[in-house]
Amino acid sequence: MRTTTQATVAASARDLTKTYGQGDAQVHALRGIDLDLHRGRFTAIMGPSGSGKSTLMHCLAGLDHASGGTVTVAGTDLGSLDDDALTIFRREHIGFVFQSFNLLPMLTAGENIVLPLELGGRRTDDAARERAHMLADILGVADRLGHRPAELSGGQQQRVAIARALITQPDLLFADEPTGNLDSTTSAEVLNHLRRSARELGQTIVMVTHERDAATYADDVVTMQDGRIA
Amino acid sequence: MRTVFLASLRTHTRRYVAAAIAVIVSVAFVVVIGVITSGARAGFMENAGAPFRNADHVVDAVHVDDTLDTSVAIEIVERLGKNASGLGLVLLPTRTGDRPASEMTVGPIAPAEEMRWQKLISGRFPERTGEAAVHVWDAQAREIAIGDRIRLGEGATATDLEVVGLVESPSPTAQASVYVTWPQFLHWRDQPSFHVSRVAVRGKVGQLPEGAALYSPEEYVRNGQAKLSNHADMIALILLVFAAIAVFVSVLVVANTFSVLFAQRLRDFALLRCVGATRRQVMDSVRREAAAVGVLASLTGTLVGVGLGYALIPLINTLAPTTPMGAAELPTPWLVGGFTVGLVVTLLASLLPTRRVVRVSPLAALRPDTAVDGHTATGRVRLALAALLLVTGLALLGVAMVQDSTVLMLAGGGSVFAGVLLFGPALVPRLVRITGALLGPAGRLATKNAVRNPRRTAATTASLLVCVTLTTAVLTGSATTRAAVDEERDRDHPIDVALTSPETPVTTDLLDQVRRTPGVEQAIPVEGAMAQVAGLDEPILVVTAPDAERVARDGGSFARVEPGKIRLDYAAFDKNLSLRPGDRVTVRVGDRRAQLQVAAGTGWGQAGVVAPATLAQLTDAPEPHVIWVRASAGADPLELVGDLAGLANAAGAEIHDNLQARATEDQLLRILTWSVLGLLGIAVVIALIGIANTLGLSVLERAREHAMLRALGLTRRQLRRMLATEAMLLSVVATLLGTVIGVGFAWAGYETVVKPALKDASMQVPWPSLGVVVLVAALAGLLAAVLPARRAARVTPAAGLSLD
Repeated sequence: MRTTTQATVAASARDLTKTYGQGDAQVHALRGIDLDLHRGRFTAIMGPSGSGKSTLMHCLAGLDHASGGTVTVAGTDLGSLDDDALTIFRREHIGFVFQSFNLLPMLTAGENIVLPLELGGRRTDDAARERAHMLADILGVADRLGHRPAELSGGQQQRVAIARALITQPDLLFADEPTGNLDSTTSAEVLNHLRRSARELGQTIVMVTHERDAATYADDVVTMQDGRIA
Repeated sequence: MRTVFLASLRTHTRRYVAAAIAVIVSVAFVVVIGVITSGARAGFMENAGAPFRNADHVVDAVHVDDTLDTSVAIEIVERLGKNASGLGLVLLPTRTGDRPASEMTVGPIAPAEEMRWQKLISGRFPERTGEAAVHVWDAQAREIAIGDRIRLGEGATATDLEVVGLVESPSPTAQASVYVTWPQFLHWRDQPSFHVSRVAVRGKVGQLPEGAALYSPEEYVRNGQAKLSNHADMIALILLVFAAIAVFVSVLVVANTFSVLFAQRLRDFALLRCVGATRRQVMDSVRREAAAVGVLASLTGTLVGVGLGYALIPLINTLAPTTPMGAAELPTPWLVGGFTVGLVVTLLASLLPTRRVVRVSPLAALRPDTAVDGHTATGRVRLALAALLLVTGLALLGVAMVQDSTVLMLAGGGSVFAGVLLFGPALVPRLVRITGALLGPAGRLATKNAVRNPRRTAATTASLLVCVTLTTAVLTGSATTRAAVDEERDRDHPIDVALTSPETPVTTDLLDQVRRTPGVEQAIPVEGAMAQVAGLDEPILVVTAPDAERVARDGGSFARVEPGKIRLDYAAFDKNLSLRPGDRVTVRVGDRRAQLQVAAGTGWGQAGVVAPATLAQLTDAPEPHVIWVRASAGADPLELVGDLAGLANAAGAEIHDNLQARATEDQLLRILTWSVLGLLGIAVVIALIGIANTLGLSVLERAREHAMLRALGLTRRQLRRMLATEAMLLSVVATLLGTVIGVGFAWAGYETVVKPALKDASMQVPWPSLGVVVLVAALAGLLAAVLPARRAARVTPAAGLSLD
């Protein structure tokens, strides 16, 4: 088991715990999680509100430090990184898609897509531009690149957000309730795009959702309950 | 609504602090001015009353405008003896050590010890003729110590005195440099400047001579005070102008802070409307919040002002002991005024943004995410008005320059500036984009952030724009005036120091010594001969200096005299010169003569300057009798003149200097400029608080965005740098724009005011100083970003993302 881990596991958590607050007000959001996320798979983390699924995602993505246990992504123990190293790690290895899109309102769609490259101080070279166009083509927003987020529909904004997450070819793509603000038709579109990314581009995707319909698009489903994997 | 009002005050305390600080600073400014004015007045009262120490009466002329006859005053003092103290002065040339003689004021001390009002610092008071006490400041400046001998007066009335004590005198009106006993003082009663104008009397006065009247000391001081206090009030008025600028800037800052605050709370207001609050209720609640902030901030400002004012008085007394301040009474009108100004400013500044608040529809609360309005259209009306103001203002400025009308200039300037402020939302973001483009991709996010809300961008920069415009105008104006004054002075005082030896020629040894003196940049020997000039009682030197441009401040043009002319220094001869320019005079050296035409000039001492050919006509063997010295920049005039006077004395030469007068004038101008800049500095501080406010509030608003950027891989340092760049862009653009307008205003002022007054003035732009202003503004922008940026960077991405 351990030998195959290196080859096929993109990220793993061992005995992961996370507590908030102190004393009586202490909340155990995660109570010992063991989880392997396999490369090239589309995994859905499901569970009701307050089950700890968002906290798990934050810890796996290096957005928050765990209280106990280890998180390993692409062979790196996230607990050993300080804030700057963690930030740069996220920049290079992890992509995000959020429920509320979180595009920068003052940038155009095209500028939003290449933003992660710019943050890394990389020049937007021809290869990057080509990749951005390819992604925009695949996601069907190629004709909207010059528009600002306020001029795009919710579905378009989320597809731009997916393109932004894929531009750096991350080891892991996290999607936090990506269809939470979308109607059912658009939701289906976005979920199809995510599944195609996994199948055609070999992208490892972790999606947090509480919608059972959304979870059906995933290859694997992990269900959470009260801070544990049920 | 009461619960909502209290709860929102509590919740938004931190945000209101931003607005409150601007109010506090401007209120404190007003109050500090009040306390200091009050202290200055108390100081005047205390010190002006000092000469009447232990006196029961003051004898002075019956009418305020008349002065008491000196002989009458002397008669009273002589009659009353120990019970009288005459107050008077005489101006006498004084020689101390080997320094050149200079005029000093000499006054009497009272015979009775109880009536002596001077404070003894060391030694004792003079007891008999031949003794003197010297004021500590003069003793310091001239290095006089107890036991030294000083010579007062010239010729027959010259007296050597021994210094027995050092004193300090608190009264500005009766202050002298040297104090002597009454009989010693009377020694100089025939000097033209001798006068005794008041007598302080203990006990009964007896028969009053004609024209004299009795006053009680209190009444007398109060009457005299009216005049002096006017002076203090004048200064207070000038300070108030700057306070008004500070208040105006804080209105801009507070209004902007409130509008940002309310914009962020629009959803709250909409929600209140949703659950049934009327427009009126929302409006009232918001206004009550503003009023509460206004009251608290004004109160704090008043307290801070009082504390600062009372702390400043001893500081000013230490720094400037010549104008001591007294214990200030609490200036109630100023306190009330400051408080009211603060309250009104806050209410006024919150008025506009609150009007926007009530226009919010209840539905706004139900919409998921209000999109940031990236493009607030700049209204056509606003643009039209701005254009109108600009055109009118420029036209007024043009007319003002032609007609030299200050009123039109001020009106035009105000109109142009109002136009620029109105153009702000269209103009400032464009300038920010252009400046930001210079930073390349690194500054792209910061630039886009800075201009995402054009109206806010413009409002934030407006306050700094006001300050920088004024600062630049003052700097340029003072540089221009100064250059004009300098040029005039260079023409009037071409030679810094002249050493003249009429009897014997100066030796090359003396010239070497002069050249080696620290602070001497260049010294040249000037050749000439003693000559009798018809119309002058005594012989003077007639010199020629073809190489005068090596030392002369005017480029040597005063020394370029045509053959057949003689140029005399009219200032050096006082009124005694009966010759008029254009007169023809006979000049005789030995037995040779020349008919020369008199020309006028100033600034090189009692020598006639002629052409080399003219001198050759008068003598075959001219000898160097004069050394002209040019001081190097930054030389200490007192030290240099002292050193040269030592050399001159040893060689039997006389010294004539223009340096000390020049240094005093320079210092006055410098103090004036720096005071104005210091006062404007307070307004600049308020403006920077404004930038910090807007940035701080924007940071709160963009918490989610920042969390997202952090999630995507923006490091803390990059985030801080992005916010700092944003603040710097705002401040630099405001500064550059302000500099351009300020220089423009200074030019208008130069054409309107300076040019008609000083005909040789030319516009001077102090580029280095302006560069410093831009640099300081950029640094201050960085400083303004420090706190907001730190706060923004502290939030972890996970926490920021789960915010709503």
